[in-house]
Amino acid sequence: MGTLAAAVGLLAAMLLFVGHSLGTMTGSAARSVPLDWQGPVGSYRAASRVAAAVRRQPGVAEAAATATAPFAGIEHVSAANGAIRAGAGAILAVAPGYLAHIGTFRFLRGTLRAGAVVLDQQLAATLQVQPGDAITLTPRAGARAVRLPVSGVALVSAPDRLFQPLNPLLGPASAQPPANIAILPLRTFAAKVAPVLSAIGSSLGVSAVPGALAGTQWQVQAQVARGALGGSPARALQQATQLRNRVERMLPGQVVFVDNLADSLSSAAGDALYAETLYIMLAVPGALAALGLAYLAALGTAERDRRNLALLRARGARRRDLVWLAALESLLLALVAGPLATGIALAALHLAGARNGVGSGRLLATLGISVALAAGGAAAARLAAGLIAFRTSIGEGRRSVRRNTQPLWQRLYLDLLALAVAGLVYWLTVRTGFSAVVNPDSNPTLSLSVYMFLAPALLWLGTTLLLVRLRGGAVAWLARRLSGGRPTTSSGFLLASAGRRGVAINRGLLVLGLLLAFGVNLGLFTATYDQQARIDAQLTLGADVVATAPPGAVAHAALVRRIARLRGAAAVGAVDHSYAYVGPDLQDTFGVDPATLARVTSLRDSYFLGGSAGQMLERLRTRRDGILVSKETITDYSLQLGDLLRLRVLDHRSGRFRIAAFHVVGIVQEFPAAPKDSFMVANLDYLRAVTHDEGPNVILVRASGDPDALARRIAAATGRFGTTVKNIREQTAQTVTSITTVDLRGISRIEEVFLLVLAAAAMALFVAVALADRRQELATMIALGASPRRAAGFLWSEAVLVLAAALALAALLGWLLAEVLVAMLRHVFDPPPDHLTAPWTFLAGLGGAAVAGCLAAAGLAALGIRRLPLGAILREE
Amino acid sequence: MTARPLVRVAIAACRDITVVYGRGPTAVYALGGVSVGFRPGESVALLGRSGSGKTTLLHVLGGLVEPTSGEVAWHGRPLSSLDRVARGALRARGIAFVFQGSNLLPHFTAFENVAFAAQLAEGEASPALAPPALLELVGLGGKLDHLPAELSGGEAQRVALARALAQQPELLLCDEPTGHLDSDTGERVLDLIDALQSEFGFTLVVATHATEVAARYGRELELEDGVLVREG
Repeated sequence: MGTLAAAVGLLAAMLLFVGHSLGTMTGSAARSVPLDWQGPVGSYRAASRVAAAVRRQPGVAEAAATATAPFAGIEHVSAANGAIRAGAGAILAVAPGYLAHIGTFRFLRGTLRAGAVVLDQQLAATLQVQPGDAITLTPRAGARAVRLPVSGVALVSAPDRLFQPLNPLLGPASAQPPANIAILPLRTFAAKVAPVLSAIGSSLGVSAVPGALAGTQWQVQAQVARGALGGSPARALQQATQLRNRVERMLPGQVVFVDNLADSLSSAAGDALYAETLYIMLAVPGALAALGLAYLAALGTAERDRRNLALLRARGARRRDLVWLAALESLLLALVAGPLATGIALAALHLAGARNGVGSGRLLATLGISVALAAGGAAAARLAAGLIAFRTSIGEGRRSVRRNTQPLWQRLYLDLLALAVAGLVYWLTVRTGFSAVVNPDSNPTLSLSVYMFLAPALLWLGTTLLLVRLRGGAVAWLARRLSGGRPTTSSGFLLASAGRRGVAINRGLLVLGLLLAFGVNLGLFTATYDQQARIDAQLTLGADVVATAPPGAVAHAALVRRIARLRGAAAVGAVDHSYAYVGPDLQDTFGVDPATLARVTSLRDSYFLGGSAGQMLERLRTRRDGILVSKETITDYSLQLGDLLRLRVLDHRSGRFRIAAFHVVGIVQEFPAAPKDSFMVANLDYLRAVTHDEGPNVILVRASGDPDALARRIAAATGRFGTTVKNIREQTAQTVTSITTVDLRGISRIEEVFLLVLAAAAMALFVAVALADRRQELATMIALGASPRRAAGFLWSEAVLVLAAALALAALLGWLLAEVLVAMLRHVFDPPPDHLTAPWTFLAGLGGAAVAGCLAAAGLAALGIRRLPLGAILREE
Repeated sequence: MTARPLVRVAIAACRDITVVYGRGPTAVYALGGVSVGFRPGESVALLGRSGSGKTTLLHVLGGLVEPTSGEVAWHGRPLSSLDRVARGALRARGIAFVFQGSNLLPHFTAFENVAFAAQLAEGEASPALAPPALLELVGLGGKLDHLPAELSGGEAQRVALARALAQQPELLLCDEPTGHLDSDTGERVLDLIDALQSEFGFTLVVATHATEVAARYGRELELEDGVLVREG
């Protein structure tokens, strides 16, 4: 029963974990959206009316009339500093109570009061403004300036979404965030600023204008009640979309929303598909192997059951009676094993790091599923014995040895066929690069999913069936060869016996071997995955330690020099991370110093096309206006090396976008700290010259020791200048989570712990089943004069055989499966791995658990045999 | 073959043996105060109906079951002074069993069943007691490599006899040796047991419920509900 509970517990833990993880993904995706819906409307009045109507809809937490608008300039005059001016920027106008449900900004100091203004911290710093001061805001060039008291300083989050052009037909389109942001009360804005600006209108059907606000964008901003979203990201996406459709249908012609929430959930749903794919690949074989172990446990009494059932049948029991008996017994067993399994699953979930609990509904569902699974598993084993008894004659059923006929699948050689097809699919996968493709579009689906599963699934199936076909033939053959003819020695008798117990040994080998193979597969895949995540992390972060600083801070505070003096900093360099438009596409742009970049970060040749990393940096160094662009940009804009590329960059001096000329000198695919899609790399000096920005804002540091400690030292030394410091270790943890979005480590940890336990249990169970199966034989040996130790030798010697064969099988099959999985899931890895990574500690632990189980089994055998009731057993027929 | 008596001295005796299975109100008295002795070379029938305690008495004599009270002596030495391993060693070279269902080791061939018992006996056996010779003696020289499942009931019982002889027993305890056999086969097995006893001279105790079988032996002990009711 313990084994059945453990096996069902593993299944239940996986169900709970997957459900929990998908729920967590939904929560994370929804939380990451500061603003769910933005609906453009034509006027202040329309915004107020529609917001009130939307707010009344069920499932909507808040709807607020708001406006975004440009301003031409802003000035602060003080006695101490005189007049300080800042360039153009953007206004966010909000109604009172806006922040109750919508988190697009938060106050650092003060609050928003009627007739006053709140400045973004950057703008406040530029103007050297404190709450209580007054500024003058010029809405547009030539218009009369508006004098406003400053009532607070705020931090605006996600300005790229907040000030994006709103075109519901195009959906969300992140825009270059404005350099300066002022927040006004909606009434104040409507009264003092809006009259001098033109209104953009509802924008229905109008193309978004990227990069700059042309006038006042009246809009309704709304937040969906998080309670209305539940389940997996795909389910939440469906719920959110239905809710938006319903709201829009209720207000026909009045508002159509740009749906930031659906955008985020859609992306999460795509990630969830990756996760689900991995779960299927990693979890299902383990669960099946665990059920196989439960079946092995059930077989401990199957032989006796078979004979008892035959006896009952001889005495008049009908098939229906026996089925009822089996069902009743199984249900009773399940009523104990099910709750036990649920407890195990909850403990495993906790161990895997899920701290939020599972909720009473899901807990009850899991309990129900566990009881059902346990009942099903127990009934399957019982009925299997019963069916054998019914298929055979009563006399045959009561025999201690059964005759076997070859089943259809063996006559059709389905095992060899499955292995051949698995090999073929794998060969195609490797040769043609055919692999799993996830299509996270509006309706995420897995492409090629059927074929994708064929190689590992058929490899599992074929190997299992082949082992069943062999019936331990190889082990028996080896044992007979070793025993050498008619045995007369102790070892000869052990081998002779083992040679004729191929079926039983094979049963143990089948369960333990597949269990260990699954463990090896899981370990290799997870280790490879982690290794790639670390590589990915380095690529994502950019260097061992990265400090991001506010504009100008790097230059003004001489941060590069400060950091270079710190212990553990081997090399320090600065990069300017900004944005530029290629046509309508906003792309990340990196200004680098080609002469020093390689000292602070690792550049692989594979990051570039058409030349090595060194060659590409040299090309940049020798051409001041040179630029490296992505392959996608080259293709989309029909560019060639040497072509002129005109970019729209933000001129920080004027606050407006301007055209700057660059020349394409190379193609870049990956770059430290760059996103995975399109980006550009240019010379730092040239970029500064055309943008007039205040220099680098990212500092890359190569660590000579512990990056964690160095990051702490950098944070301590530069924190007062507003830096944010990240190091490779924390980035690795984040990358691991972001690749799969759900935590692959969690499910791996659950499975690894179960595997260690189950591997040990499998060995112990093999011996326990053999003890139950051979009790009369062992009792006879003792009656003949064999010592209990001698008799126990017949059990544990077989356990050793099973262990050795299972370890060999696991090494081969586990490695093969991991190779197939990695080849199939190549798209999960960025960049793809060169070879598998072996987690030696886990593999040693797995083997150790099996060996420990074997040793425990030897002790169990000796103890069990000593306790055999010889008199009673020898009376059994 | 050269006949060689294996038993030269007095062997087993029970005194006031009681065996109780279970406890409390459900306790079953399998044997109640049985006292009996067995002389070297004699043949004894243990007669009684099913459940009368025959098998239990055989198991007690062979050291497989420890009596609840009373004493079993082997060559005058109490069995209770021996531990489980020592009692096993004693059986290996002195007390052999033939069970009702032959109880051959199912994963051993006929040869291996006999050879295994011979190896446990660890004696310097004469060629006449070598496994192939013993199987030849019981008429199965041509089935040395057959597994028990490939033998008939009578053949299996003859292998069991050969296995018992491989232990060079002083005392052979046969528990309903013909219980699973038809009457003709059973008769032949009993004849074989008699012949072997005459040849090897071991003490023979045969438990049976059949009076005609019991009549073949020199002495009859009758058990009824665990109590020795007749000795003659």
